[in-house]
Amino acid sequence: MGAELGKYKQVVAARSADKEILKGAQDGGIVTSLFAYALDEGIIDGAIVAGSYEDDPNVESTASQNHHWRPKPVVVTTKAELLAARGTKYNISPNVSLIKEATRSYGLDKVGIVGTPCQMQAIRKGQLYPFGWRDVESSIALAVGIFCMENFPYQSILQLVEDHAAMKLESVKKMEIGKGKFWVYGKRGQVVQLPLKVTHKYEQPGCHVCMDYVANLADISTGSVGSPDGWSTVFVRSKIGDSVWAKAMAAGVFETQPIEKVKPGLELVSKLANEKITKNRNTLEARKTFGVGKGLRNPFI
Amino acid sequence: MGLLSSVFKKNVSEAPQKPAAPAKAADVVQKVETTNKEVKPVVDKISVGYTHLSGCTGCTVALADNYGGLLTLLDRYVDLKYHLTLADVRHIQKVDVAIVEGSVCIQDKLAVEEIKETREKAAIVVALGGCACYGNITRFSRGGQQNQPAHESYLPIGDLIKVDVYIPGCAPTPQMIRNVCVMAYLLLKGTKEQKELATKFLTPLMNMAAKGTSACFCELMTEVINQGLCMGCGSCAAACPVRAITMEFGKPNGERDLCIKCGACYSQCPRGFFNTDVVSEYEAINEAIMAALQ
Amino acid sequence: MSKVVEISPTTRHEGHSKLVLKVNDAGIVETGNWCSITPVRGVEKLAVGKTPEQVPKIASRVCGICPIAHCLAATEAMEASIKVEVPKDAKLLRYILQLANRCHSIALHDILILPDLYLPGTDVKINPFSPEEPVRSVAKRIQRLREIGQTIGQIAGGEAIHPSNPRVGGMYMNCSPQAKTKMYDLAKEGLVLAHQQMDFMIAVLRNYQKRDWVDVGGMKVPLPKDLGYHDQGYLATHPYYGSSSMDECPTWSLDRFKEVRPWDWYMGEMEITLEEPKYPIGGTTKLGTKVNPQMEACTGIPMYDGAPVEVGPRARLVTYKKFDEKGTIGQNVAREMEYTDSFYEMIDCIDALNPSGKVVADYIPNGDGTLGWASNEAPRGTDVHIAKVKDWKVQYFSMLVPTTWNFATCSAALTGAPWQLAEVIMRGYDPCVSCATHMIVVNEDNKVVAQKLIQQ
Ligand SMILES: Cc1cc2nc3c(=O)[nH]c(=O)nc-3n(C[C@H](O)[C@H](O)[C@H](O)COP(=O)(O)OP(=O)(O)OC[C@H]3O[C@@H](n4cnc5c(N)ncnc54)[C@H](O)[C@@H]3O)c2cc1C
Ligand code: SF4
Ligand code: SF4
Ligand code: SF4
Ligand code: SF4
Repeated sequence: MGAELGKYKQVVAARSADKEILKGAQDGGIVTSLFAYALDEGIIDGAIVAGSYEDDPNVESTASQNHHWRPKPVVVTTKAELLAARGTKYNISPNVSLIKEATRSYGLDKVGIVGTPCQMQAIRKGQLYPFGWRDVESSIALAVGIFCMENFPYQSILQLVEDHAAMKLESVKKMEIGKGKFWVYGKRGQVVQLPLKVTHKYEQPGCHVCMDYVANLADISTGSVGSPDGWSTVFVRSKIGDSVWAKAMAAGVFETQPIEKVKPGLELVSKLANEKITKNRNTLEARKTFGVGKGLRNPFI
Repeated sequence: MGLLSSVFKKNVSEAPQKPAAPAKAADVVQKVETTNKEVKPVVDKISVGYTHLSGCTGCTVALADNYGGLLTLLDRYVDLKYHLTLADVRHIQKVDVAIVEGSVCIQDKLAVEEIKETREKAAIVVALGGCACYGNITRFSRGGQQNQPAHESYLPIGDLIKVDVYIPGCAPTPQMIRNVCVMAYLLLKGTKEQKELATKFLTPLMNMAAKGTSACFCELMTEVINQGLCMGCGSCAAACPVRAITMEFGKPNGERDLCIKCGACYSQCPRGFFNTDVVSEYEAINEAIMAALQ
Repeated sequence: MSKVVEISPTTRHEGHSKLVLKVNDAGIVETGNWCSITPVRGVEKLAVGKTPEQVPKIASRVCGICPIAHCLAATEAMEASIKVEVPKDAKLLRYILQLANRCHSIALHDILILPDLYLPGTDVKINPFSPEEPVRSVAKRIQRLREIGQTIGQIAGGEAIHPSNPRVGGMYMNCSPQAKTKMYDLAKEGLVLAHQQMDFMIAVLRNYQKRDWVDVGGMKVPLPKDLGYHDQGYLATHPYYGSSSMDECPTWSLDRFKEVRPWDWYMGEMEITLEEPKYPIGGTTKLGTKVNPQMEACTGIPMYDGAPVEVGPRARLVTYKKFDEKGTIGQNVAREMEYTDSFYEMIDCIDALNPSGKVVADYIPNGDGTLGWASNEAPRGTDVHIAKVKDWKVQYFSMLVPTTWNFATCSAALTGAPWQLAEVIMRGYDPCVSCATHMIVVNEDNKVVAQKLIQQ
């Protein structure tokens, strides 16, 4: 296990000690608990999370477009709002698009943000190279990354659920990728699993050049892989992450187990990370000779 | 205020008040030269000039909006040789680094001469802001206005001279200007490791300068979305200074009637460039800049 | 016999300008010309055919020192043309943005004039960047005031330099309750600092006023009591903000406005006959150099009721607050007096802001080509924009910017002063020259006469 997991200070299996958070969380409720704690402690004064269009009175629903499971980046400042944004939406939520506005009309001084590994990359690039993000870099107080193998356009999720899993999107309670399958849980108790080979054609193309599985550049990153159901694998990475994590632990926000003690453990994380990196490095290679004597761009200079 | 000012934050702890930030170069420089009090020797500094062409002075304000950081830079690292508003000397002189704000009106002989002279007298030329890099709003100029109806062609400076480093955006951010100043200093005066770091940091900005003088929302379409690279982070929308970009179903939509051609979106996009080796070291670089200013 | 001396370029203000002065044997200015020498980007012309949404964004970029004024005046000229009613909370956000910009701008101006002034009780001129007290604390306060202004502006207006939040029909975003509190706290802090800063500046200005002489490059120059006096009128359209309706603002009417050529106003070709190498930073222009303000000026001369007028802080206080102090010191005092007022007014606006109020008009017409105008009281004076919008396209756009108004007025105010103090008088107008460069300059045959001239 090496570079594929990025730099980290510690890695543990953890879950929230708050039953209420756990109830609607995707996995161990790490993201929601961290932000709720950080809000309480004044470490952040708001967070950018993936809310939903359904709750937005300004967005009209029509029969053909009801926005269920369509994430909308929102700035939240209360625990109630954090709770409402729990759970993974398997399609794009451009959380970084609010990073500047959060410090403007939302009036935040210390911003929390959750995002996929690529969004963490965007954040760090923006801190070192703030071309259009004036006075933003030092307001980023806590960046929580979530593991990510790939993401999907909204239309893909619609088709996966409605066509392949034969369920109305609005009756879905939870979606999940794990154990080699795409799982769809219905509100009435149905469970449908789709083999991942079905999902491949629906993936966002930009994900195929992505070289980061476990959000190497987050302060703290988390995902389900490696830990038992209902638990999360947590990497504590930066100095900020270290300090927030230590305080949260001292405050009893999380229950933890040593990662070595849980199944399937870090090895699986490492395996999946390597698979992703290898696959996508091959894509990048293939892009070089995509045409005749001409290739496609490689952004990773 | 991030990298550099986190240094200052340490000093002043919770207090919201930033350390004094005298924003005027000339006096600082003068002070250094005349009184030589509590300041490191001038020989260590890099000399910097500032050529103001057809720009709005917003880039200058952005530079001054480094508040405390600007003073520290001027105290220790940067000897501002000429600047229209901040220094009293406006004549172009020989410098290590020339920063240029604004584009060049090619119907204006003197502006053309000034940009050439700037190039001839500087080791490194930095195009600051959308106007100097990509033309920005002056791209829309088409003359015909009373007083100077013939002034119709404004070119980004890179169309007339070789430019080494780009800092796009309108206005560019105080933090980006500061980071480039520190890196330019490290490049010219630093240790071997510092030089390497500065080179790595500046490389994408040099690549942008080499790439060309045209940018607008279209770069996101042609170089990112069309190339199958967009992953919907929204960095571009956050960067746009005129709210021309909205995210629609996870992808940027550009209102091209609003775009002013500043180049911020594409340069901010992590799929425009992403130098993993540098960005991954964000904490260390942060500290390096802090150490440089301590 | 009178001699001609030229200070070029003038310093410690925004943009390129110069002073051409005809002086008598005692060195007293008989005729002074202050003129802009910056090139023209043609924003008024490039606006034609664009959308009314884009033009204010471009207009903002005419000048980075008063971008707020240009953005708001342009947006509101469009709104006046298409006749849209802007919701109250959007208006409030614009007021806050406007006042925040004023606070940052006054602080900046303090930095630029302090080196002309003396530490009370001494013959030492103030270097605002000296680490010595009491100057260091003043510098800190100025910087904090600038930061407060820029930050409040950034919250209400989206960006600190070129605002991104204003749009035709209102604002893109209202502020959250948290943002409202943040602005409120900042404004409260700013008010305290502004009081201190105003007191300090006025004390320093009064001290200067009492002096018999001042030092300029080692020359002891007598200080006249009527420094910068003139007999021109004043123009202001609102104590803080601006207007786009005659009912609200009877002081401004397009019919009373006329613009003439610098040809009629400035001096013709002359030769420099006085050179002073001791004049600070490199001396004045070399003997024998040819100058021609008529030809070189890049702006026209706007007239109101047939004469040039003064715009800016004193004009506002004269018009609305019965202020009557003349001259350069009066002008600078007036600017300081606007400091605390801006914060008081800002605090009222923040108080009144409803974070859940709507900020965009329900209906935004496409325009029928009606002429609309809007004035905005920029820190340095009245900025009037005029627009015609038809079918969501701009058909006509014009900008009458503050410093252009003041060029001729300031030129008149130079008369009677020792030439060495001409820059001090000019700085009293807080000039911001690049935006003044779009203006019209034609000769009798409507041919262009002005040529940009950059020295050296
Ligand atoms: C597209 C995608 C792919 C993923 N792939 C993997 C994987 O391969 N392996 C793995 O172990 N984990 C993966 N995850 C992460 C996992 O699904 C959980 O999000 C993570 O474990 C956090 O769970 P939690 O209980 O701690 O968070 P919770 O407390 O439930 O909070 C989750 C937070 O994430 C935010 N969020 C939800 N959807 C998105 C989104 N689309 N973009 C950005 N933020 C969002 C929510 O608003 C909420 O704040 C993926 C997540 C996403 C969004
Ligand atoms: S796979 Fe990579 S690019 Fe795609 S969403 Fe996940 S982190 Fe982003
Ligand atoms: S880039 Fe923007 S801020 Fe800079 S000069 Fe051009 S318009 Fe002004
Ligand atoms: S910044 Fe780049 S990758 Fe991110 S949404 Fe915009 S175009 Fe896509
Ligand atoms: S879309 Fe916005 S950020 Fe991109 S070039 Fe245009 S104005 Fe600049």
